[in-house]
Amino acid sequence: MKIFQIALGILAAIGGFVDIGDLVFNVSAGATFGYQLLWVIVIGVVGIIVYSEMCGRVATVSGKAVFDAVRERLGFRTGLAALVSAQVVNLMTLTAEIGGVAICLQLLSGLPYRWLIVIAGVVLSIVVWTTSFDWIERIFGYGGLCLLVFAVAAVKLHPAWGAVGHGFVPHVPTQSPLLYAYFAVGLLGAAMTPYEVYFYSSGAVEEQWGPKDLGLNKANAMIGYGLGGFLSFALMIVGGALFLGKGIEPEFLGSIALGAEVPLGQIGLLLALVGILFAVGGAAIDTLFSGAYNLAQFLGWEWGRYRSNSGAPRFTLTWIVLLVLGLGLVMTGVDPVQLTEYAVIFSAVALPLTYIPILLVANDRSYMREYVNGRLANVLGLFYLVVIVVIALTAVPLLILTNAGQN
Amino acid sequence: MSKTIVLGLELVDRQLLDSEDRRCGNVDDLALEGRPGEKLEVVAIFSGPGAWRRRAGLTGRFAAWIGGGRVVRIPWEEVAVVSAHVKLRKRADELGLGRGDDRLRPLIQKIPGADR
Repeated sequence: MKIFQIALGILAAIGGFVDIGDLVFNVSAGATFGYQLLWVIVIGVVGIIVYSEMCGRVATVSGKAVFDAVRERLGFRTGLAALVSAQVVNLMTLTAEIGGVAICLQLLSGLPYRWLIVIAGVVLSIVVWTTSFDWIERIFGYGGLCLLVFAVAAVKLHPAWGAVGHGFVPHVPTQSPLLYAYFAVGLLGAAMTPYEVYFYSSGAVEEQWGPKDLGLNKANAMIGYGLGGFLSFALMIVGGALFLGKGIEPEFLGSIALGAEVPLGQIGLLLALVGILFAVGGAAIDTLFSGAYNLAQFLGWEWGRYRSNSGAPRFTLTWIVLLVLGLGLVMTGVDPVQLTEYAVIFSAVALPLTYIPILLVANDRSYMREYVNGRLANVLGLFYLVVIVVIALTAVPLLILTNAGQN
Repeated sequence: MSKTIVLGLELVDRQLLDSEDRRCGNVDDLALEGRPGEKLEVVAIFSGPGAWRRRAGLTGRFAAWIGGGRVVRIPWEEVAVVSAHVKLRKRADELGLGRGDDRLRPLIQKIPGADR
């Protein structure tokens, strides 16, 4: 039974790994550079594993989720800067994910886009209001597993496997290195999105993990996110095999789904769209809660889905307001795919202020006791801190220099 | 409580929990007492937006203004344990904490299914 439960959790983590940022950046990186950026996904996925495990462990042992730690270690003033930047990026991401849901519904039903935004809003509100934390994770995680159709598609498209293998060897091409760097930063930003650690650490408190669950924490982070990374490989390979050199930029979620339709026909298209719908819908809920978690944790308010909606009133009000804001922004007609690109690049800028406090708290023996970071976690943690600072500093200049990947 | 605590790192900005483990604010500031030449003693905790005014210049004053400027003084005798969180001896409402949540609750409860 225990093994069964662990497996269910891991499956949900695989399905929940991919969001609109991963879809957009993996496929367009494939369309632009073929398989040459596969190695960057590996770096990104190991990074999210290292920091998820760490913040999950901190939350499990001390009951502190990320913004609890941010407030404690950065203090009020710097912490407030971290909070504001996190919330701005989070709202952008939320808006992009809701837009993604509406686009999927439109491709599936053919109804007008603005109606579907309203329908998406109503459905999301009802699901969030009535469904418990673990069921939300499961429903959307398992639905997201339909994305595995892209793994089948990747094989069916018969990519040049030699070139795929070469893509895993770190290298920089001589042609357009700036654009290559832009996509590398985007892929890292998409894999290590900050909301994933906000949500993951708060989730550990939601599920009331204790020290006996630390094995589960490790398994979820390593196997769940690790296998989730395979979906990213598949998306990039599909993008490379189908779009590279054809002058096609997958600027629409529909063209990403095309990646499954070309080799697998109608059923491929349907599975891809359903998979994207659940993955993006789940991410919309993750970002929605993350925004409310962050604010409540920074200000010391009661929070959590393990309380009833009225048991944590300000937390509940916060996610309601965020949902309304997100829906309003999608209604303005902003392009969700373009917004995703900006959200991912700006989230790369916000990464250090999220990850530094986690690393500090994970080393605090006074309440982490025997569960403080070991040498491996610290070596990897410091390595990724350097990576994160580099991408934070280069993200916006690259965005401007490459005209958001357009040249 | 005789254990040595580094106030800046181990007390300020920690989460407050009431006697029923309800989250009810943060340690936003401290009241210290002691005459020149004597040891300083923590006599109270301040919690609430009003305390940010003294902490973060213009930003803090602006944030305090948005937050309504209220501040609650909790005598040190009400502190039970300082660990990853600061645990108090009484319920939040007895200490004047968590008022924002208590005021908002009736509104949220008007929506069906709010108490599940």
